[in-house]
Amino acid sequence: MAQSEIEERAEAAEKARKAEKIDFKMVTFSLAGKEYGIDIMSVKEIAKAGRFTYVPNAAPFVRGVYNLRGDIISVIDMRIFFHLPAERKEEEALESLIILRVGEQVFGIIVDGIDKVVGISQASIQPPHPIFGDINVKYIKGIVENAGKLYIILDVDRIFAPERETERAADEAAALARPSPRAAPEEAPGFGADVASSFVKETLAALRGFHVGPTNEAWFASRFAEWKAGRKGADLQIKEASEADQFLEGFWSPATGRLWDDDYAQAVEAVLPEIEAKSINVWNPGCGKGYETWSLACVLRKRYPETRIKVWANDSDLLAISMAPNMVFPEAVPDYYVPFMTKGKNGLSFVQAVRDSIFFEYHDVMNANPLPPLDMILCRDMLSFLAPIDQKRLFGDFIDKLKPSGVVLTGLNERLGEGWTPFGTEAVPAFRKD
Amino acid sequence: MRVEYINPFVESAFNVLREVLQSDVRRGELYLKSTSMPVMGVAAIVGLAGDVEGRVLFDMDKPTALKIASAMNGEELKELDDLVKATITELANMITGQAVTKLHDLGFKFDLTPPAIFTGENMEVSNSDVEALIVPMETGHGKIEINVAIRERA
Repeated sequence: MAQSEIEERAEAAEKARKAEKIDFKMVTFSLAGKEYGIDIMSVKEIAKAGRFTYVPNAAPFVRGVYNLRGDIISVIDMRIFFHLPAERKEEEALESLIILRVGEQVFGIIVDGIDKVVGISQASIQPPHPIFGDINVKYIKGIVENAGKLYIILDVDRIFAPERETERAADEAAALARPSPRAAPEEAPGFGADVASSFVKETLAALRGFHVGPTNEAWFASRFAEWKAGRKGADLQIKEASEADQFLEGFWSPATGRLWDDDYAQAVEAVLPEIEAKSINVWNPGCGKGYETWSLACVLRKRYPETRIKVWANDSDLLAISMAPNMVFPEAVPDYYVPFMTKGKNGLSFVQAVRDSIFFEYHDVMNANPLPPLDMILCRDMLSFLAPIDQKRLFGDFIDKLKPSGVVLTGLNERLGEGWTPFGTEAVPAFRKD
Repeated sequence: MRVEYINPFVESAFNVLREVLQSDVRRGELYLKSTSMPVMGVAAIVGLAGDVEGRVLFDMDKPTALKIASAMNGEELKELDDLVKATITELANMITGQAVTKLHDLGFKFDLTPPAIFTGENMEVSNSDVEALIVPMETGHGKIEINVAIRERA
Protein backbone atom coordinates (compact mmCIF):
# COMPACT_ATOMS: atom_id res chain seq x y z
CA MET A 1 0.00 0.00 0.00
CA ALA A 2 2.58 2.48 1.19
CA GLN A 3 4.82 1.34 -1.61
CA SER A 4 2.22 2.10 -4.24
CA GLU A 5 1.48 5.43 -2.67
CA ILE A 6 5.10 6.43 -2.87
CA GLU A 7 5.23 5.29 -6.45
CA GLU A 8 2.14 7.26 -7.26
CA ARG A 9 3.58 10.37 -5.75
CA ALA A 10 6.83 9.91 -7.58
CA GLU A 11 4.88 9.50 -10.78
CA ALA A 12 2.92 12.67 -10.19
CA ALA A 13 6.10 14.57 -9.43
CA GLU A 14 7.65 13.18 -12.58
CA LYS A 15 4.65 14.32 -14.54
CA ALA A 16 4.77 17.78 -13.07
CA ARG A 17 8.46 18.03 -13.78
CA LYS A 18 7.86 16.98 -17.37
CA ALA A 19 5.07 19.50 -17.80
CA GLU A 20 7.15 22.28 -16.30
CA LYS A 21 10.03 22.02 -18.66
CA ILE A 22 8.92 23.96 -21.71
CA ASP A 23 11.21 23.22 -24.57
CA PHE A 24 8.87 23.19 -27.55
CA LYS A 25 6.74 26.04 -28.77
CA MET A 26 4.13 25.75 -31.42
CA VAL A 27 1.75 27.99 -33.27
CA THR A 28 -1.74 26.59 -32.88
CA PHE A 29 -4.59 26.94 -35.35
CA SER A 30 -7.81 25.26 -36.28
CA LEU A 31 -8.82 23.29 -39.34
CA ALA A 32 -12.37 22.01 -39.70
CA GLY A 33 -13.01 22.35 -35.99
CA LYS A 34 -9.90 20.56 -34.78
CA GLU A 35 -6.86 22.10 -33.15
CA TYR A 36 -3.47 21.74 -34.78
CA GLY A 37 0.02 22.95 -34.03
CA ILE A 38 3.17 23.62 -36.02
CA ASP A 39 6.66 23.94 -34.55
CA ILE A 40 7.33 27.64 -34.16
CA MET A 41 10.81 27.20 -35.61
CA SER A 42 9.26 26.56 -39.03
CA VAL A 43 6.91 29.53 -38.79
CA LYS A 44 8.24 32.76 -40.22
CA GLU A 45 5.23 34.91 -39.46
CA ILE A 46 1.47 35.01 -39.48
CA ALA A 47 -0.69 37.29 -41.59
CA LYS A 48 -4.18 38.06 -42.79
CA ALA A 49 -4.35 38.21 -46.53
CA GLY A 50 -6.65 37.71 -49.46
CA ARG A 51 -6.96 38.22 -53.21
CA PHE A 52 -4.32 35.69 -54.08
CA THR A 53 -3.23 35.68 -57.67
CA TYR A 54 -4.69 32.62 -59.33
CA VAL A 55 -2.21 30.29 -61.02
CA PRO A 56 -3.65 28.31 -63.90
CA ASN A 57 -3.05 24.55 -64.01
CA ALA A 58 -1.77 24.39 -60.47
CA ALA A 59 -2.85 21.60 -58.13
CA PRO A 60 -6.28 22.24 -56.61
CA PHE A 61 -4.84 22.90 -53.16
CA VAL A 62 -2.68 25.77 -54.44
CA ARG A 63 -4.79 28.85 -53.98
CA GLY A 64 -2.40 31.07 -55.84
CA VAL A 65 0.60 33.27 -55.20
CA TYR A 66 0.90 36.17 -52.85
CA ASN A 67 3.15 39.17 -52.72
CA LEU A 68 4.71 39.25 -49.28
CA ARG A 69 6.51 42.58 -49.12
CA GLY A 70 8.05 42.05 -52.49
CA ASP A 71 8.64 38.29 -52.22
CA ILE A 72 6.31 36.13 -54.23
CA ILE A 73 5.25 33.11 -52.24
CA SER A 74 2.80 30.38 -53.09
CA VAL A 75 -0.22 29.83 -50.93
CA ILE A 76 -1.58 26.42 -50.10
CA ASP A 77 -5.01 25.81 -48.69
CA MET A 78 -4.48 23.23 -45.96
CA ARG A 79 -8.15 22.29 -45.86
CA ILE A 80 -8.19 21.29 -49.49
CA PHE A 81 -4.77 19.69 -49.10
CA PHE A 82 -6.09 17.41 -46.40
CA HIS A 83 -9.52 16.97 -47.98
CA LEU A 84 -11.29 18.76 -45.19
CA PRO A 85 -14.41 20.84 -45.75
CA ALA A 86 -13.43 24.43 -46.59
CA GLU A 87 -15.83 27.30 -46.61
CA ARG A 88 -15.29 29.50 -49.58
CA LYS A 89 -15.07 33.08 -48.45
CA GLU A 90 -16.05 36.14 -50.36
CA GLU A 91 -13.63 37.26 -53.01
CA GLU A 92 -12.50 40.23 -50.91
CA ALA A 93 -12.41 38.47 -47.51
CA LEU A 94 -9.11 37.95 -45.77
CA GLU A 95 -7.84 34.46 -44.94
CA SER A 96 -5.66 33.49 -41.99
CA LEU A 97 -2.24 32.79 -43.33
CA ILE A 98 0.74 31.14 -41.65
CA ILE A 99 3.98 31.82 -43.46
CA LEU A 100 6.29 28.84 -43.18
CA ARG A 101 9.92 28.38 -43.93
CA VAL A 102 10.88 24.80 -44.80
CA GLY A 103 14.48 24.48 -45.89
CA GLU A 104 15.06 27.28 -48.39
CA GLN A 105 11.42 27.59 -49.29
CA VAL A 106 8.99 30.17 -47.99
CA PHE A 107 5.29 29.76 -48.54
CA GLY A 108 1.94 30.39 -46.93
CA ILE A 109 -0.73 28.03 -45.72
CA ILE A 110 -4.37 28.98 -45.26
CA VAL A 111 -6.07 27.74 -42.10
CA ASP A 112 -9.48 28.38 -40.55
CA GLY A 113 -8.21 30.41 -37.65
CA ILE A 114 -4.93 31.11 -35.91
CA ASP A 115 -5.07 30.74 -32.16
CA LYS A 116 -1.88 31.45 -30.21
CA VAL A 117 1.56 30.25 -29.34
CA VAL A 118 1.62 27.39 -26.86
CA GLY A 119 4.66 26.24 -24.97
CA ILE A 120 4.90 22.59 -24.07
CA SER A 121 7.48 20.04 -23.11
CA GLN A 122 8.85 17.73 -25.80
CA ALA A 123 8.45 14.82 -23.42
CA SER A 124 4.70 15.25 -23.27
CA ILE A 125 4.24 14.76 -26.99
CA GLN A 126 2.65 11.43 -27.67
CA PRO A 127 2.99 9.44 -30.82
CA PRO A 128 0.27 9.88 -33.45
CA HIS A 129 -2.56 7.45 -33.52
CA PRO A 130 -4.23 6.34 -36.76
CA ILE A 131 -7.69 6.76 -35.34
CA PHE A 132 -7.02 10.35 -34.61
CA GLY A 133 -8.09 12.95 -37.09
CA ASP A 134 -8.61 13.13 -40.76
CA ILE A 135 -4.99 13.52 -41.70
CA ASN A 136 -2.62 10.84 -42.82
CA VAL A 137 -0.60 9.64 -39.84
CA LYS A 138 2.69 10.11 -41.64
CA TYR A 139 2.18 13.86 -41.66
CA ILE A 140 1.63 13.99 -37.91
CA LYS A 141 4.52 14.44 -35.53
CA GLY A 142 2.51 13.71 -32.43
CA ILE A 143 -0.33 14.69 -30.21
CA VAL A 144 -0.17 16.84 -27.14
CA GLU A 145 -2.62 17.96 -24.51
CA ASN A 146 -2.45 21.47 -23.17
CA ALA A 147 -4.96 23.31 -20.99
CA GLY A 148 -7.68 20.80 -21.72
CA LYS A 149 -7.26 20.89 -25.48
CA LEU A 150 -5.74 18.23 -27.72
CA TYR A 151 -3.41 19.54 -30.37
CA ILE A 152 -2.29 17.56 -33.39
CA ILE A 153 1.25 18.62 -34.21
CA LEU A 154 1.88 18.57 -37.95
CA ASP A 155 5.25 17.61 -39.30
CA VAL A 156 5.79 20.34 -41.87
CA ASP A 157 9.15 18.99 -42.95
CA ARG A 158 7.43 15.76 -43.85
CA ILE A 159 4.62 17.50 -45.65
CA PHE A 160 6.53 20.09 -47.59
CA ALA A 161 10.17 19.01 -47.80
CA PRO A 162 11.31 19.32 -51.42
CA GLU A 163 12.46 15.71 -51.79
CA ARG A 164 9.04 14.57 -50.72
CA GLU A 165 7.44 16.71 -53.36
CA THR A 166 7.06 13.94 -55.91
CA GLU A 167 5.84 11.46 -53.37
CA ARG A 168 3.30 13.92 -52.13
CA ALA A 169 2.19 14.67 -55.64
CA ALA A 170 1.70 10.97 -56.20
CA ASP A 171 -0.22 10.67 -52.96
CA GLU A 172 -2.34 13.59 -53.92
CA ALA A 173 -2.98 12.19 -57.34
CA ALA A 174 -4.06 8.93 -55.78
CA ALA A 175 -6.26 10.76 -53.32
CA LEU A 176 -7.82 12.80 -56.07
CA ALA A 177 -8.43 9.76 -58.21
CA ARG A 178 -10.50 8.29 -55.42
CA PRO A 179 -13.98 9.78 -55.53
CA SER A 180 -14.40 11.88 -52.43
CA PRO A 181 -17.14 10.63 -50.11
CA ARG A 182 -19.20 13.74 -50.61
CA ALA A 183 -19.09 13.64 -54.37
CA ALA A 184 -21.85 11.76 -56.16
CA PRO A 185 -20.74 8.16 -56.68
CA GLU A 186 -19.45 7.80 -60.19
CA GLU A 187 -18.03 4.87 -62.07
CA ALA A 188 -14.51 5.68 -63.17
CA PRO A 189 -13.79 4.16 -66.57
CA GLY A 190 -11.18 1.62 -65.37
CA PHE A 191 -13.02 0.85 -62.18
CA GLY A 192 -13.99 -2.76 -62.94
CA ALA A 193 -10.46 -3.69 -63.92
CA ASP A 194 -9.00 -2.16 -60.77
CA VAL A 195 -11.25 -4.16 -58.54
CA ALA A 196 -10.52 -7.32 -60.51
CA SER A 197 -6.78 -6.74 -60.23
CA SER A 198 -6.97 -6.28 -56.49
CA PHE A 199 -9.04 -9.45 -56.25
CA VAL A 200 -6.45 -11.32 -58.27
CA LYS A 201 -3.74 -10.01 -55.96
CA GLU A 202 -5.63 -11.23 -52.95
CA THR A 203 -6.33 -14.67 -54.32
CA LEU A 204 -2.70 -15.11 -55.35
CA ALA A 205 -1.72 -14.36 -51.78
CA ALA A 206 -4.34 -16.67 -50.35
CA LEU A 207 -3.85 -19.61 -52.71
CA ARG A 208 -0.16 -19.51 -53.40
CA GLY A 209 1.32 -17.10 -50.84
CA PHE A 210 2.37 -14.81 -53.68
CA HIS A 211 2.37 -11.17 -52.58
CA VAL A 212 2.25 -8.41 -55.17
CA GLY A 213 4.37 -5.52 -53.99
CA PRO A 214 7.17 -3.21 -55.10
CA THR A 215 9.44 -6.18 -55.91
CA ASN A 216 7.15 -7.60 -58.56
CA GLU A 217 4.63 -4.88 -59.36
CA ALA A 218 5.90 -4.31 -62.89
CA TRP A 219 5.61 -7.98 -63.75
CA PHE A 220 2.16 -8.20 -62.21
CA ALA A 221 0.86 -5.22 -64.17
CA SER A 222 2.00 -6.64 -67.50
CA ARG A 223 0.87 -10.16 -66.62
CA PHE A 224 -2.51 -8.87 -65.55
CA ALA A 225 -2.96 -7.04 -68.84
CA GLU A 226 -2.02 -10.23 -70.67
CA TRP A 227 -4.38 -12.26 -68.50
CA LYS A 228 -7.20 -9.85 -69.22
CA ALA A 229 -6.57 -10.05 -72.95
CA GLY A 230 -6.33 -13.83 -72.80
CA ARG A 231 -9.60 -14.18 -70.94
CA LYS A 232 -11.50 -12.16 -73.56
CA GLY A 233 -14.18 -10.80 -71.28
CA ALA A 234 -14.56 -14.04 -69.36
CA ASP A 235 -14.34 -13.86 -65.59
CA LEU A 236 -10.97 -12.38 -64.65
CA GLN A 237 -10.88 -13.73 -61.18
CA ILE A 238 -8.84 -16.64 -59.96
CA LYS A 239 -10.85 -19.23 -58.11
CA GLU A 240 -8.66 -22.29 -57.90
CA ALA A 241 -5.07 -23.07 -57.15
CA SER A 242 -4.59 -24.35 -60.69
CA GLU A 243 -5.65 -20.98 -62.07
CA ALA A 244 -3.23 -19.26 -59.72
CA ASP A 245 -0.47 -21.51 -61.03
CA GLN A 246 -1.50 -20.63 -64.56
CA PHE A 247 -1.31 -16.94 -63.71
CA LEU A 248 2.15 -17.34 -62.21
CA GLU A 249 3.44 -19.46 -65.10
CA GLY A 250 5.59 -16.74 -66.61
CA PHE A 251 6.90 -15.51 -63.30
CA TRP A 252 9.54 -18.12 -62.63
CA SER A 253 13.17 -17.44 -63.32
CA PRO A 254 14.95 -19.49 -65.99
CA ALA A 255 15.80 -23.07 -65.05
CA THR A 256 13.77 -23.25 -61.86
CA GLY A 257 13.87 -26.75 -60.38
CA ARG A 258 16.78 -27.96 -62.50
CA LEU A 259 20.41 -27.11 -63.15
CA TRP A 260 20.86 -23.84 -65.00
CA ASP A 261 21.33 -24.47 -68.69
CA ASP A 262 24.55 -23.41 -70.43
CA ASP A 263 23.19 -20.09 -71.68
CA TYR A 264 21.79 -18.98 -68.36
CA ALA A 265 24.89 -20.08 -66.44
CA GLN A 266 27.03 -18.04 -68.84
CA ALA A 267 24.70 -15.07 -68.52
CA VAL A 268 25.07 -15.18 -64.74
CA GLU A 269 28.83 -15.56 -65.02
CA ALA A 270 28.96 -12.47 -67.23
CA VAL A 271 27.10 -10.34 -64.71
CA LEU A 272 29.29 -11.23 -61.72
CA PRO A 273 31.66 -8.40 -60.85
CA GLU A 274 35.39 -8.59 -60.21
CA ILE A 275 35.98 -9.58 -56.57
CA GLU A 276 39.41 -9.01 -55.04
CA ALA A 277 38.84 -10.79 -51.73
CA LYS A 278 40.50 -14.12 -50.97
CA SER A 279 37.22 -15.70 -50.01
CA ILE A 280 33.68 -15.13 -51.18
CA ASN A 281 30.69 -15.62 -48.91
CA VAL A 282 27.35 -16.20 -50.57
CA TRP A 283 23.88 -16.53 -49.12
CA ASN A 284 21.16 -18.34 -51.03
CA PRO A 285 17.90 -18.06 -49.11
CA GLY A 286 14.99 -20.04 -50.50
CA CYS A 287 17.20 -22.51 -52.37
CA GLY A 288 14.39 -25.08 -52.67
CA LYS A 289 15.71 -28.42 -53.88
CA GLY A 290 19.18 -26.95 -54.23
CA TYR A 291 19.60 -26.96 -58.01
CA GLU A 292 20.27 -23.24 -58.14
CA THR A 293 22.79 -23.52 -55.33
CA TRP A 294 24.82 -26.20 -57.11
CA SER A 295 24.58 -24.24 -60.36
CA LEU A 296 25.75 -21.06 -58.72
CA ALA A 297 28.58 -22.83 -56.91
CA CYS A 298 29.89 -24.07 -60.26
CA VAL A 299 29.50 -20.65 -61.88
CA LEU A 300 31.45 -19.11 -58.99
CA ARG A 301 34.21 -21.74 -59.26
CA LYS A 302 34.60 -20.94 -62.93
CA ARG A 303 34.43 -17.16 -62.48
CA TYR A 304 36.74 -17.00 -59.44
CA PRO A 305 38.97 -20.08 -59.72
CA GLU A 306 41.55 -18.88 -57.19
CA THR A 307 39.10 -17.88 -54.49
CA ARG A 308 37.72 -19.77 -51.54
CA ILE A 309 33.94 -19.97 -51.93
CA LYS A 310 31.33 -20.59 -49.26
CA VAL A 311 27.63 -20.76 -49.97
CA TRP A 312 25.00 -20.88 -47.24
CA ALA A 313 21.81 -22.22 -48.79
CA ASN A 314 18.60 -22.26 -46.74
CA ASP A 315 15.07 -23.36 -47.18
CA SER A 316 12.26 -23.74 -44.71
CA ASP A 317 10.78 -26.65 -46.67
CA LEU A 318 12.41 -29.68 -45.07
CA LEU A 319 11.26 -32.11 -47.76
CA ALA A 320 12.66 -29.99 -50.58
CA ILE A 321 16.03 -29.33 -49.03
CA SER A 322 16.67 -32.72 -47.44
CA MET A 323 17.80 -34.25 -50.74
CA ALA A 324 19.91 -31.26 -51.77
CA PRO A 325 23.27 -32.23 -50.21
CA ASN A 326 23.48 -35.58 -51.99
CA MET A 327 22.37 -34.77 -55.47
CA VAL A 328 23.08 -37.41 -58.10
CA PHE A 329 22.30 -37.08 -61.81
CA PRO A 330 21.65 -40.36 -63.59
CA GLU A 331 21.46 -38.61 -66.96
CA ALA A 332 23.63 -36.14 -68.79
CA VAL A 333 24.02 -32.64 -67.37
CA PRO A 334 24.57 -29.40 -69.30
CA ASP A 335 28.16 -29.08 -70.59
CA TYR A 336 28.87 -26.23 -68.20
CA TYR A 337 28.94 -28.59 -65.22
CA VAL A 338 30.93 -31.46 -66.68
CA PRO A 339 34.30 -30.19 -65.35
CA PHE A 340 32.83 -30.09 -61.84
CA MET A 341 31.44 -33.60 -61.76
CA THR A 342 32.64 -37.12 -61.20
CA LYS A 343 31.07 -40.34 -62.27
CA GLY A 344 29.92 -42.67 -59.53
CA LYS A 345 28.00 -45.91 -59.64
CA ASN A 346 24.62 -44.14 -59.56
CA GLY A 347 25.48 -41.39 -62.01
CA LEU A 348 27.15 -38.02 -61.98
CA SER A 349 27.70 -36.10 -58.78
CA PHE A 350 29.60 -32.94 -57.90
CA VAL A 351 33.29 -33.11 -56.99
CA GLN A 352 34.35 -32.72 -53.37
CA ALA A 353 35.66 -29.18 -53.85
CA VAL A 354 32.22 -28.00 -54.93
CA ARG A 355 30.52 -30.04 -52.21
CA ASP A 356 32.71 -28.54 -49.53
CA SER A 357 31.76 -25.04 -50.62
CA ILE A 358 28.05 -25.44 -49.85
CA PHE A 359 26.18 -25.62 -46.55
CA PHE A 360 22.59 -26.67 -46.99
CA GLU A 361 20.57 -25.62 -43.97
CA TYR A 362 17.02 -26.27 -42.87
CA HIS A 363 16.34 -22.73 -41.79
CA ASP A 364 13.64 -20.10 -41.81
CA VAL A 365 15.00 -16.72 -42.90
CA MET A 366 12.47 -15.02 -40.65
CA ASN A 367 14.46 -16.28 -37.66
CA ALA A 368 17.86 -14.80 -36.92
CA ASN A 369 20.31 -15.22 -39.81
CA PRO A 370 23.74 -15.83 -38.30
CA LEU A 371 25.91 -15.18 -41.34
CA PRO A 372 29.34 -13.62 -41.86
CA PRO A 373 29.64 -10.47 -44.03
CA LEU A 374 28.47 -11.44 -47.50
CA ASP A 375 29.79 -10.74 -50.96
CA MET A 376 26.73 -12.01 -52.74
CA ILE A 377 23.11 -12.93 -52.17
CA LEU A 378 21.22 -15.10 -54.62
CA CYS A 379 17.54 -14.80 -53.93
CA ARG A 380 15.42 -15.93 -56.83
CA ASP A 381 11.63 -15.98 -56.80
CA MET A 382 11.54 -16.04 -53.05
CA LEU A 383 10.85 -12.45 -52.00
CA SER A 384 7.44 -12.52 -53.65
CA PHE A 385 6.41 -15.35 -51.38
CA LEU A 386 7.01 -13.37 -48.23
CA ALA A 387 4.39 -11.08 -46.77
CA PRO A 388 5.33 -7.40 -47.30
CA ILE A 389 6.33 -6.94 -43.66
CA ASP A 390 8.61 -9.99 -43.79
CA GLN A 391 10.13 -8.75 -47.04
CA LYS A 392 11.01 -5.54 -45.29
CA ARG A 393 12.71 -7.41 -42.49
CA LEU A 394 14.65 -9.52 -44.92
CA PHE A 395 15.80 -6.41 -46.83
CA GLY A 396 17.05 -5.10 -43.50
CA ASP A 397 19.10 -8.28 -43.14
CA PHE A 398 20.36 -7.97 -46.72
CA ILE A 399 21.62 -4.47 -46.04
CA ASP A 400 23.08 -5.55 -42.72
CA LYS A 401 24.96 -8.58 -43.94
CA LEU A 402 26.10 -7.43 -47.35
CA LYS A 403 29.58 -5.95 -47.67
CA PRO A 404 29.65 -2.46 -49.24
CA SER A 405 30.75 -3.95 -52.56
CA GLY A 406 28.31 -6.88 -52.28
CA VAL A 407 25.73 -7.75 -54.90
CA VAL A 408 22.25 -9.23 -54.86
CA LEU A 409 20.95 -11.37 -57.71
CA THR A 410 17.16 -11.57 -57.84
CA GLY A 411 14.68 -13.54 -59.88
CA LEU A 412 13.88 -12.66 -63.47
CA ASN A 413 10.76 -10.69 -62.56
CA GLU A 414 11.79 -9.23 -59.25
CA ARG A 415 13.34 -5.86 -58.54
CA LEU A 416 14.80 -4.32 -55.43
CA GLY A 417 13.54 -0.81 -54.88
CA GLU A 418 14.76 2.14 -52.87
CA GLY A 419 18.31 1.98 -51.61
CA TRP A 420 19.56 -0.30 -54.39
CA THR A 421 21.27 0.47 -57.66
CA PRO A 422 20.51 -1.96 -60.45
CA PHE A 423 23.15 -3.33 -62.77
CA GLY A 424 23.17 -6.64 -64.58
CA THR A 425 21.04 -7.58 -67.54
CA GLU A 426 17.46 -8.30 -68.51
CA ALA A 427 17.91 -12.00 -67.85
CA VAL A 428 19.99 -11.62 -64.71
CA PRO A 429 18.87 -8.63 -62.65
CA ALA A 430 21.51 -7.64 -60.12
CA PHE A 431 21.69 -4.90 -57.50
CA ARG A 432 24.22 -3.06 -55.38
CA LYS A 433 23.69 -1.11 -52.20
CA ASP A 434 23.51 2.65 -52.75
CA MET B 1 20.71 -26.09 -39.12
CA ARG B 2 22.62 -28.10 -41.67
CA VAL B 3 20.51 -30.68 -43.38
CA GLU B 4 23.12 -33.37 -42.75
CA TYR B 5 22.73 -33.01 -38.98
CA ILE B 6 19.02 -33.61 -38.86
CA ASN B 7 18.76 -37.29 -39.62
CA PRO B 8 21.37 -38.56 -37.15
CA PHE B 9 19.46 -36.91 -34.30
CA VAL B 10 16.07 -38.11 -35.43
CA GLU B 11 17.32 -41.65 -36.03
CA SER B 12 19.23 -42.03 -32.81
CA ALA B 13 16.36 -40.60 -30.75
CA PHE B 14 14.05 -43.07 -32.40
CA ASN B 15 16.38 -46.06 -31.96
CA VAL B 16 17.42 -45.34 -28.40
CA LEU B 17 13.89 -44.65 -27.19
CA ARG B 18 12.54 -47.78 -28.80
CA GLU B 19 15.33 -49.86 -27.37
CA VAL B 20 15.23 -48.64 -23.78
CA LEU B 21 11.46 -48.38 -23.51
CA GLN B 22 10.68 -51.56 -25.41
CA SER B 23 7.61 -49.87 -26.79
CA ASP B 24 6.32 -48.23 -29.90
CA VAL B 25 7.75 -44.79 -30.65
CA ARG B 26 6.25 -42.41 -33.17
CA ARG B 27 7.99 -39.37 -34.60
CA GLY B 28 5.96 -36.20 -35.04
CA GLU B 29 6.38 -33.54 -37.72
CA LEU B 30 9.70 -31.68 -37.52
CA TYR B 31 9.63 -27.91 -37.39
CA LEU B 32 11.72 -24.84 -36.63
CA LYS B 33 11.27 -22.49 -33.74
CA SER B 34 13.15 -19.46 -32.55
CA THR B 35 10.97 -17.88 -29.92
CA SER B 36 11.32 -18.68 -26.25
CA MET B 37 9.57 -21.88 -25.36
CA PRO B 38 8.06 -23.26 -22.20
CA VAL B 39 9.72 -26.25 -20.60
CA MET B 40 7.27 -28.94 -19.67
CA GLY B 41 8.77 -29.73 -16.30
CA VAL B 42 11.87 -31.85 -16.75
CA ALA B 43 14.59 -30.83 -19.17
CA ALA B 44 17.96 -32.43 -19.83
CA ILE B 45 20.48 -30.40 -21.76
CA VAL B 46 23.65 -31.51 -23.55
CA GLY B 47 26.06 -28.95 -24.94
CA LEU B 48 27.90 -29.42 -28.23
CA ALA B 49 31.23 -27.96 -29.22
CA GLY B 50 33.82 -28.49 -31.90
CA ASP B 51 33.28 -27.54 -35.54
CA VAL B 52 29.89 -26.37 -34.40
CA GLU B 53 28.32 -24.85 -31.33
CA GLY B 54 24.95 -25.51 -29.84
CA ARG B 55 22.92 -27.66 -27.55
CA VAL B 56 20.35 -30.39 -27.47
CA LEU B 57 17.47 -30.13 -25.03
CA PHE B 58 15.22 -33.04 -24.06
CA ASP B 59 11.96 -31.78 -22.70
CA MET B 60 9.12 -33.74 -21.08
CA ASP B 61 6.59 -33.35 -18.30
CA LYS B 62 7.04 -34.89 -14.85
CA PRO B 63 4.70 -37.91 -15.23
CA THR B 64 6.45 -38.81 -18.49
CA ALA B 65 9.85 -38.55 -16.85
CA LEU B 66 8.70 -40.81 -13.99
CA LYS B 67 7.22 -43.38 -16.34
CA ILE B 68 10.27 -43.44 -18.58
CA ALA B 69 12.60 -43.74 -15.60
CA SER B 70 10.42 -46.53 -14.20
CA ALA B 71 10.51 -48.40 -17.49
CA MET B 72 14.27 -48.02 -17.83
CA ASN B 73 14.95 -49.15 -14.25
CA GLY B 74 12.43 -51.92 -14.23
CA GLU B 75 10.78 -50.69 -11.04
CA GLU B 76 7.98 -48.33 -10.18
CA LEU B 77 9.34 -44.86 -9.30
CA LYS B 78 6.96 -42.31 -7.82
CA GLU B 79 9.18 -39.42 -6.77
CA LEU B 80 11.40 -37.25 -8.89
CA ASP B 81 14.46 -38.33 -6.94
CA ASP B 82 18.11 -38.65 -7.81
CA LEU B 83 17.61 -41.99 -9.52
CA VAL B 84 14.97 -40.55 -11.85
CA LYS B 85 17.13 -37.56 -12.64
CA ALA B 86 20.16 -39.73 -13.29
CA THR B 87 18.10 -41.95 -15.57
CA ILE B 88 16.78 -39.09 -17.66
CA THR B 89 20.28 -37.62 -17.84
CA GLU B 90 21.56 -40.94 -19.07
CA LEU B 91 18.84 -41.13 -21.69
CA ALA B 92 19.84 -37.70 -23.00
CA ASN B 93 23.46 -38.78 -23.03
CA MET B 94 22.70 -41.98 -24.94
CA ILE B 95 20.68 -40.25 -27.65
CA THR B 96 23.12 -37.40 -28.14
CA GLY B 97 26.09 -39.74 -27.99
CA GLN B 98 24.69 -41.99 -30.66
CA ALA B 99 23.85 -39.02 -32.88
CA VAL B 100 27.35 -37.62 -32.51
CA THR B 101 28.84 -41.01 -33.38
CA LYS B 102 26.77 -41.11 -36.56
CA LEU B 103 27.86 -37.59 -37.40
CA HIS B 104 31.47 -38.50 -36.78
CA ASP B 105 31.16 -41.28 -39.36
CA LEU B 106 29.90 -38.66 -41.82
CA GLY B 107 32.96 -36.54 -41.18
CA PHE B 108 31.61 -33.95 -38.74
CA LYS B 109 33.48 -33.50 -35.49
CA PHE B 110 31.42 -32.75 -32.39
CA ASP B 111 32.31 -32.84 -28.70
CA LEU B 112 29.77 -33.26 -25.94
CA THR B 113 29.48 -31.63 -22.57
CA PRO B 114 28.18 -33.72 -19.67
CA PRO B 115 24.41 -33.46 -19.53
CA ALA B 116 22.65 -31.31 -16.97
CA ILE B 117 19.08 -31.66 -15.82
CA PHE B 118 16.59 -29.00 -14.81
CA THR B 119 13.31 -29.60 -13.07
CA GLY B 120 10.61 -27.23 -11.93
CA GLU B 121 7.32 -25.58 -12.77
CA ASN B 122 6.80 -22.78 -15.28
CA MET B 123 10.28 -22.77 -16.74
CA GLU B 124 11.13 -21.19 -20.04
CA VAL B 125 14.14 -21.40 -22.32
CA SER B 126 14.89 -18.32 -24.28
CA ASN B 127 17.75 -17.53 -26.51
CA SER B 128 15.86 -15.75 -29.18
CA ASP B 129 18.55 -15.51 -31.83
CA VAL B 130 19.01 -19.27 -31.96
CA GLU B 131 16.80 -21.25 -34.26
CA ALA B 132 16.00 -24.71 -32.97
CA LEU B 133 14.83 -27.84 -34.73
CA ILE B 134 12.02 -29.48 -32.80
CA VAL B 135 11.73 -33.26 -33.00
CA PRO B 136 8.59 -34.37 -31.19
CA MET B 137 8.66 -38.01 -30.10
CA GLU B 138 5.48 -39.77 -29.01
CA THR B 139 6.26 -42.72 -26.75
CA GLY B 140 3.92 -45.06 -24.95
CA HIS B 141 4.82 -43.21 -21.75
CA GLY B 142 4.21 -39.69 -22.96
CA LYS B 143 5.70 -37.05 -25.23
CA ILE B 144 9.34 -36.02 -25.39
CA GLU B 145 10.37 -32.97 -27.35
CA ILE B 146 13.92 -32.88 -28.57
CA ASN B 147 15.06 -29.36 -29.25
CA VAL B 148 18.26 -29.19 -31.30
CA ALA B 149 20.02 -25.88 -31.89
CA ILE B 150 23.35 -26.18 -33.66
CA ARG B 151 25.14 -23.70 -35.77
CA GLU B 152 28.37 -23.57 -37.64
CA ARG B 153 31.12 -21.65 -35.97
CA ALA B 154 31.46 -18.45 -37.96
